[in-house]
Amino acid sequence: MMWIPIQINENSAEPLYHQIETQLRALIISGVITEGTLLPSIREFAGDLNCSVITVRRVYQDLEGEGMLRTRQGTGTFVSHVGDNARKGFKRDTVTKALEAAVDLARSVHSSEEELKGMFQEIVDRKYKEQD
Amino acid sequence: MQMAMELRNVRKQRRTQTIGPLNLKMPEGHVIALVGHNGSGKSTLLQMLLQLTHPEAGEIQWFGRNYTGELSLELRQSITYVPEVSLREENGWSAEEAASFRSYWYPKWEAQYFNDLLNQFEVPRNIKLGKMSKGERRKFEIAAALAAHPRLLLLDEPSSGLDPFAWKKMIEILRRYMEEHNATIVISTHIVEEVRRLADYIVLMHQGQMLGMAEKDSLYGLWNEVWVNLSDEEELKELSKMFPDTLHWTMDTPGVASFVVEHFHKIEKRIHDLGVHVIKSRSLELDEILSLWTQGHYPELVDLERGD
Repeated sequence: MMWIPIQINENSAEPLYHQIETQLRALIISGVITEGTLLPSIREFAGDLNCSVITVRRVYQDLEGEGMLRTRQGTGTFVSHVGDNARKGFKRDTVTKALEAAVDLARSVHSSEEELKGMFQEIVDRKYKEQD
Repeated sequence: MQMAMELRNVRKQRRTQTIGPLNLKMPEGHVIALVGHNGSGKSTLLQMLLQLTHPEAGEIQWFGRNYTGELSLELRQSITYVPEVSLREENGWSAEEAASFRSYWYPKWEAQYFNDLLNQFEVPRNIKLGKMSKGERRKFEIAAALAAHPRLLLLDEPSSGLDPFAWKKMIEILRRYMEEHNATIVISTHIVEEVRRLADYIVLMHQGQMLGMAEKDSLYGLWNEVWVNLSDEEELKELSKMFPDTLHWTMDTPGVASFVVEHFHKIEKRIHDLGVHVIKSRSLELDEILSLWTQGHYPELVDLERGD
């Protein structure tokens, strides 16, 4: 049984099931947990995360509804096939969210549009150069 | 959802107080923690679930059935109990002797599992139960309660007398049992960490009354303590009036006030827009949330009738 790297924050206002669901979805779509992987049983996973079985059951049900997991009676819950479209959509969504947060922050400290664009270009140039 | 037990308008007169009316549904396959101060009625509730004592009014159902008179033999054999104080009748026996007696009564008794548990718990063999330390006796009781393979396990303050290592082992063992069986555990406890590690649902009792049942995970991050910059008591009074759902306003030091609020994120922006600087906030711990609940600040309660 694989260990699933999920970190929950009990002090966050974000409900536990939502935290777990978001992270598990990301792990599946990004391919960290591959197709066919058997996930821990509900009680076992709840024990690892120190949360209730009600929470884990809700997460499994939601992700099953999205087609990301499937449950075989008597065997357990598996990761199903994630299509390329889902993967692309996820990449777009997560990057968009991060950029939006950065723009919100810039506006809250009164950066101008020009200033922000300049900063963004500078960071992109620097980071992509480092990589090459 | 199948209910392990259901109480309807259950009442019981105790020397100094009336317990109830209690209305509660306990869903099968879950761990339900009973919490509350001493004398809140937790032990009485457990005893009624075992028919060790009978309510004067109301009714109790076990697995969807009423039992007029006594519980059926089959049902009694699928319920085990770790009482707050161990039975004196077994004091003269060793763990093995007590086990062999109990195995007659419980047809699903598993001797191998019982032995494993005694080993894991390091319970001494060949000494009488009455001669054991409180912790050793407790560990024997927990092992014996599990070895009978109960469908319903009732634990009354199971960890009293356990050292931290044995306590941790107990948590692991109970979790593993729940993983392998679709059992229901009702545990009465004062230890918040035990609730945190084990419970799916929390039932809060206070002065003989039941203050409802909540999903444990829904309590995290529910309440915050918030510190803000305020110049004086007057500003404090003004601000606290604008947020009537906030509690415990205090001027901590000159220039800094604090308060407690449910769903802080809902008012955070309004506070910010008023030009009040939020210095920091922290989530209340489970024990603080339980104590607010005791004072009448209810979290969202579970209503199993209505569904999820």
